[in-house]
Amino acid sequence: MESYIGILVLVAVAAIVCVAMVSLSWVLGPKKVTPYKSSPYECGVTPEGSARERFPIKFYLVAILFILFDIEVIFLWSWMTIYRDSEVSFQLFSFIEMLVYMSTWILGYIYAVRVGAIDWDETTSLDPAKLEDTVLPKLEAKPVLQPATEGS
Amino acid sequence: MPEFNAAFPLPREIDFAMLMPVIMVLVTGMIALVIEMLRPKQNNNLIVIFSIAGLMAAGVATAIQFGQPEKTTLVEMVLRDQFGLICQLLLVVACALTILFSETYLRSRRIAFGEFYPLVLWSTAGAMIMASSRNLLVIFLGLEILSISLYVLAGLARAELRSEESSLKYFLLGSFASGFFLYGIAMFYGATGSLDLAFLANGLTGNPAAKTLLVFGIGLMFVGLGFKAALVPFHQWTPDVYQGAPTNVTAFMAVCSKIGAIAALFRVLVAAAPMKADWLPAMMAIAMLTMIVGNAVALLQKDVKRILGYSSIGHAGYLLVGLLAYVNAPDQVSIATTGYYLLSYTFMTLGAFAVISVVTKDGRDTTRLEDLNGLWQRDRLAAVLLVVFMVSLIGIPPSAGFFGKFFIFQDAISAGLVPLAIVLAISSAISVAYYLQIARAAFVVETEPRPAMRMSPALRATGLICLLGVVLAGILVTPVQRFLMGTPAEEPMEASTTGLVGKG
Amino acid sequence: MFDVASWHPALQALLRVLLFVLPLLLVVPGLIWWERRLLSWMQDRIGPNRVATITLKSGRKIKLFGLLQPIADGIKLFFKEDITPSAIDRLIYFVAPAVALFPAFALGGTLPWSGNTLLTPIADVNVGILYVMAISSLGVYGIVLAGYASNNKYSLMGGLRATAQLISYELAMGMSLAAIVLASGSLKMTQMVTTQQGDLLGVVPFLNNWFIFTPFGFVAAVVFAICVIAETNRAPFDLPEAENELIAGYHTEYSSMKFAVFFMGEYAAMLVFAGVFSTVFLGGYDMFIDPLEGIAGTTLGGLATFMFKTVASFTCFIWLRASLPRLRYDQLMSLGWRTLLPVAVSNFIVVALWILITNKYGVWQGWIAYLGSFGLLFAVYLAVRGLSKNRVDNALAPRSISLVDGTRSVNVADPQAEGVGS
Repeated sequence: MESYIGILVLVAVAAIVCVAMVSLSWVLGPKKVTPYKSSPYECGVTPEGSARERFPIKFYLVAILFILFDIEVIFLWSWMTIYRDSEVSFQLFSFIEMLVYMSTWILGYIYAVRVGAIDWDETTSLDPAKLEDTVLPKLEAKPVLQPATEGS
Repeated sequence: MPEFNAAFPLPREIDFAMLMPVIMVLVTGMIALVIEMLRPKQNNNLIVIFSIAGLMAAGVATAIQFGQPEKTTLVEMVLRDQFGLICQLLLVVACALTILFSETYLRSRRIAFGEFYPLVLWSTAGAMIMASSRNLLVIFLGLEILSISLYVLAGLARAELRSEESSLKYFLLGSFASGFFLYGIAMFYGATGSLDLAFLANGLTGNPAAKTLLVFGIGLMFVGLGFKAALVPFHQWTPDVYQGAPTNVTAFMAVCSKIGAIAALFRVLVAAAPMKADWLPAMMAIAMLTMIVGNAVALLQKDVKRILGYSSIGHAGYLLVGLLAYVNAPDQVSIATTGYYLLSYTFMTLGAFAVISVVTKDGRDTTRLEDLNGLWQRDRLAAVLLVVFMVSLIGIPPSAGFFGKFFIFQDAISAGLVPLAIVLAISSAISVAYYLQIARAAFVVETEPRPAMRMSPALRATGLICLLGVVLAGILVTPVQRFLMGTPAEEPMEASTTGLVGKG
Repeated sequence: MFDVASWHPALQALLRVLLFVLPLLLVVPGLIWWERRLLSWMQDRIGPNRVATITLKSGRKIKLFGLLQPIADGIKLFFKEDITPSAIDRLIYFVAPAVALFPAFALGGTLPWSGNTLLTPIADVNVGILYVMAISSLGVYGIVLAGYASNNKYSLMGGLRATAQLISYELAMGMSLAAIVLASGSLKMTQMVTTQQGDLLGVVPFLNNWFIFTPFGFVAAVVFAICVIAETNRAPFDLPEAENELIAGYHTEYSSMKFAVFFMGEYAAMLVFAGVFSTVFLGGYDMFIDPLEGIAGTTLGGLATFMFKTVASFTCFIWLRASLPRLRYDQLMSLGWRTLLPVAVSNFIVVALWILITNKYGVWQGWIAYLGSFGLLFAVYLAVRGLSKNRVDNALAPRSISLVDGTRSVNVADPQAEGVGS
């Protein structure tokens, strides 16, 4: 446990440095607040609406996939540290166990790729109805859009 | 250099025969997913065939263990006992029946996603894990596998608001209940220093604070499992979720989630028997409330799925009575009673939901009582099946439902829980009204012709198997019970019974 | 000399922390200058060369090549107005830069810069590399909080992009390090350095076994290096702050020193990651050739070796920035998920196999098994890639939407281009 003192001290020092940096300019710099200066930057035009809008569900999907895959791998870390220096019989057995375990991981991964969970082209990230509004009016006929990759 | 000293179970020390049923179901789920990946957006018949074959194998792997002695394996993580085996077998059967009639139903609802099958299979595996362990963490693991798959399944008809609502409600309340259960586990661990229910006594001998902790822990576990089993103060989600979810999912949920929860509840109750003075009155009150509220509120419902939802709450109450009777007097009462009741419950509930699924039209699911009107005109068999299942749910003599209820009634009296027996009888009487209402709706003659309402062959097969189950289990009570007890055969009748239960 | 060993443990720790944090603070401006100069040379410009030119009375000029430019910038930034936009989420807005800078300093907690166990690493805990990964994943908080708090559309998009990017590449990073952990049998970074002092490939006696010279280590190093660049939001993965789309991304609304803090955090994190790279793959403070071990063994010799490797790695990052154009977002995600992750995972599995075969049969058999199975896996991967046609390769194709009649495709950016407008 004693070896963690260093981490604690480091965290404390780092926190102090960070807070000092951020607050120092607040203290030192001049303050002349004008309404234009303090409005959100939107390339010089008057900002329109709130920025906290809904954003594509894809971001949630990536986050969920990350959690799933990362947590699955977490279970392997403790095994990794003992694997190299153990007996051959244990190595053989645990290697096969690891393969079985990873096969579920790989299956999940292939499935995620297959259903297009990580495809980021517009055909999957835009609402079809929205696509119809933005792209289709410019076409003569109105063919039905077919997303190149269909989510399930 | 790190030293490795832990006693790791080597393959030869693991009894794979005991793990096989769960492994088979899980692997079948994976195979189903692979098939879906290889041929996306095509019909799912291949998946159905593979799934049912896998489940049959799992059923056989379970059935051959019947009557074998109690045993643990995998560092005491997995336990085999008779009740767990009964539950596992019933789960496999229920899952196979659900899968059998799902494909046509899903197609008529236009939600024939191939992912349905892996999810159902994994969910079943989760419930099977719950039924085969005494280790709380493993039970929790099974609970989560069961629940998370069910959350997704409930929202399968994702274009429908009601299905989404059902999924979200189930998810929010369900994760809350899981939290309760986990908190209970933590307290249990704090009191006993172990996650194994067998070490409950540790918390009783030491300091008194540990016992208080233990009481709270057990109480919280009851809450968590009570939610999954839909016992009364924790039942509010049931009607909404049952109504919103696609009918085949509802059928699956009503059976598998309940069996899993009852199995886990059984383990906790049995383990907590030494301190039953602390919780028995509360559990009796819960059982009574469950029976009364479930059956009384069902009277007011207008939607068949809601009625059946409330009725399943009532049945959870009956099951709890069976469990409590066993825990109160284990030497006079057999757990096979509850097992038998679960068997009859599986067949009649699944059958009833399967028949209800016939009213789907234009991809929509309208299950008000009026929607059943004219069933007799369109499809005689469906109406007959519905009547039989209702009869069994009420508990009229030749059916399995009757014997199930009767045995539990008997057990409750011989275990000295007379109030429970009385409430059971009264609430059964109440239930006659709404079950008959459903049966009657099927026979109301409809003047305006409506689009076809016919059973597909698969649905017909499911209905007939359930019918067979209900009737045969009723006629062959003694052999079936003997089979469930795992006692060796003494009469030639045994063969036919094995055939019945082994159907999958 | 001070008798450091007899000090109170906390004081010793403080000494070690200061020996790490203060030089880091001083080095960062130097790094910024180094990057600007290097980029200018690569782009045939001159770059900052005026600041710190001292004219003596005699008229002689002492040129320091503009070395003090970043310091001058820093002083200027401290005295600039700290504009606080009106519609922000105040608390989060103020906390975010600090949160973004924090991991850059905390990252080095387990990094050994020399063989002197008294002075380094700050804490030789036995979760070493896991600690680095844990802290590096904190980096995403600063960015996403900044993006959210600013109440600016560009900031929000930048923050979201950064989040998705960081977590995507963290997977591959973890898996690439997992292979190394497996091969060195420990999570301790000091242990990793020790492991790399063995014989090269287990057969060349006078050279050291740096992981980058082993096949698995090379694969892991490439994956890790790419992930590090993505984790630090550097070109060509600087989408969160892609100036032609998002102004300045998540720090659009930040000014004065708050902006500079994000900037500093990025450079400090890059330097420390370069240090991690040199420790894990380039043998840390170790000299490659056995006869030179003596030099690396001393505190200063080790520090010099380590710093040389670190700055060299850092320079490679800059070099990449000068050479490569920025990726498109779907290409970025595709690279992380579809290429780096499978490669890292296969590498991990194959390393386990290699260890098993080596222990069971011998060194040569182990390498044969390693190369054979990796080749096999790669072939399978290519086959799968080929099978799932328009799923993989369209990452590089121009972005378009295919219509049902199959005869035309419309470029979203310019529908008129293919003559479909009327």
